[in-house]
Amino acid sequence: MTRLMPVLSAALLVASAAVAPADEWGSIKGKFVFGGDPPTASELKADKDVEVCGKHKLLAEELIVGGDKGIANVVVFVRDKDVKVSPEAAKAAAAKVELDNANCRFEPHVTFVQVGQELVVKNSDTVGHNSNIATIKNPPSNNLIPAGGTASLKFASDEAIPAQVTCNIHPWMKGWLLVRPNPYAAVSKADGTFEIEDLPVGELELQFWHEKAGYLGEMSIGGKAEKASKGRKKVTVAAGGTDLGEIVLAPAVFQK
Amino acid sequence: MIKPRQSPLPGMKMVSRSGLRVVPVLAVLVAAVGCGRTPPAAFRLNMVQATKSAAPEAGMEKPWAGWARERQAQVATILEAMFGTPDEPVALAETGLDHAKLALAAGPVRSDIVGRKNGLYREHCAHCHGISGDGMGPTAAFLNPYPRDYRPGKFKFKGTWRDARPSRDDLVRLLHQGVPGSSMPSFALLPPAQVDALVEYVRYLSIRGETELALYSYAEQELGTDDRFPETREFLVDEILTPIVEKWQGAEEAAIPIAAVPANVDFSKPGDDPANRESVARGRTLFHGDGGCVKCHGVTALGDGQANDYDDWNKVIVEWSKEVSGGLAAGKSDAARSAWLHAAEDVIEGDALRPRTIPPRNLRLGLYRGGRRPLDLYRRLYTGINGAPMPGVGPSGPGGKGSVPDEEIWHIVNYIRSLPYDFDGELGVDRPLVAKDRF
Repeated sequence: MTRLMPVLSAALLVASAAVAPADEWGSIKGKFVFGGDPPTASELKADKDVEVCGKHKLLAEELIVGGDKGIANVVVFVRDKDVKVSPEAAKAAAAKVELDNANCRFEPHVTFVQVGQELVVKNSDTVGHNSNIATIKNPPSNNLIPAGGTASLKFASDEAIPAQVTCNIHPWMKGWLLVRPNPYAAVSKADGTFEIEDLPVGELELQFWHEKAGYLGEMSIGGKAEKASKGRKKVTVAAGGTDLGEIVLAPAVFQK
Repeated sequence: MIKPRQSPLPGMKMVSRSGLRVVPVLAVLVAAVGCGRTPPAAFRLNMVQATKSAAPEAGMEKPWAGWARERQAQVATILEAMFGTPDEPVALAETGLDHAKLALAAGPVRSDIVGRKNGLYREHCAHCHGISGDGMGPTAAFLNPYPRDYRPGKFKFKGTWRDARPSRDDLVRLLHQGVPGSSMPSFALLPPAQVDALVEYVRYLSIRGETELALYSYAEQELGTDDRFPETREFLVDEILTPIVEKWQGAEEAAIPIAAVPANVDFSKPGDDPANRESVARGRTLFHGDGGCVKCHGVTALGDGQANDYDDWNKVIVEWSKEVSGGLAAGKSDAARSAWLHAAEDVIEGDALRPRTIPPRNLRLGLYRGGRRPLDLYRRLYTGINGAPMPGVGPSGPGGKGSVPDEEIWHIVNYIRSLPYDFDGELGVDRPLVAKDRF
């Protein structure tokens, strides 16, 4: 047995090296920037369950531009369905994803869940909500979630674009759910930045989408104007990671 | 008798159609035959989805109108090759539809064999539901609620899971019962073979309508300005049609489970009977609590809660109208987008019924659109109502967990049954106690 050990560990080393050499995976990051004066979000009228929902200052979330012009909630995902998934990135599928009905809005505003991954729809409010999820390839659902209650959902196939999530009881509540067959998707944060980690090195096709603009067909990357039909953009993932830098979207893109 | 046509895909030469809503070929035909003959009925394209899905991308150089017409013409050609015409429907083997039944329901009303009548759909259904099953027949605009539009494949009153298609039995039941409180009458007096033929024809119109929707959805996501739909069996049948047909065939096996009725529920007795008091009280608690019913149906259950939402059919128009009127008001669009916005405005005005909100049902009337049996009410509560804002209190699929345990749903059913009689005096003593005297 002891004589075997070095052989075994050597074999293991070789095996793990074959699965994931450090230079085989890289990340993609960038920052979406609004190319004009940031719009101010309009206030929503919470005219149902006013005693609960009326307490919060609810703002329209269809286009959120931060102080430094970063655009939140831009959806970025890898379009190639047969993309190789790194062992590190594959771990994400085991975790549960939460979508909360909190303060009479959906948190997060855009949720990303993988095919087969568990989505827990929660209700942290003291009033009942319903979560009407208008998926297209997956069966749409509309569960009543009582105050403090939860519902658990799984999705068998991916969706080409995010599905709208609404609450019929409180019609101002709008959110989105992205369902992809792999872990390679991101939603830009409040400062406009996004990062997708552990992508296979090489060329990939990304797709950009935003709820107000639809597919992002025109943008400026690193100062260069680019067209992306249906929001599709070929990018190269470098071993050390690729930084797309600032991706500037003109105000006209959102004036639909 | 309509002869079944050969399966037209692939290899069959597709007839090219240049026209859209009005097919010029037909005009020529009428001219040739002379006046006094009615032109053959034609399916209408789903102009709302055809236009909505054809929003131009930024910097589109082609003139939008010509490009959109070409795409619509291709959709019309494909649909005719796959489904035929209202007078001569085609049922591809893959649809599993029974051609003999379709032939009985399709075409103009006529009888060429003693004792057999053809054209049942046009005799009984088309004036409200339209030749294309779009819910926009000549009478539709005058009815409230509007007649069902079959094309999205969504049906409200059924015994299957919320998202599932209705089973054949569900549709037969609906034709037998009609929809109380709406303009949909009962067809219980028709011979069973005729009801079966109509059910098959409704399934045919739905599968056709869903195929059309799937094409637009594919175009929106996949096709560039210069692309056309692939006219191959792999694409049209395997990729587009088969998933739709599977849903319809799966409906026969998609009935929701029905929990055993608890011991303290006796549906043979009224709600104020001592046998039911405990259950009705529990139902009332759930109605105001975990069931969430009170949110829309109101504390008095008069349907005066806070909801003023739209159903799915109307919501499409409402949301798209907002986008279009916003775009027109902004007035900053390029040529292609401007052409699209104006076309969209015309379609919303001319090819869609004016949207209406859907009020929550008044549960004090004792009138239930999907049927009044306790089982009918159980199904409405369990899955909610597909296409309507009404959510389900049961699980959203097999093995799931709902907001109210399955067997407890029967208590809500019991409470709802008691509502037209106001046993608990919830409405106050100064109001009549029986529904028919109150309204």
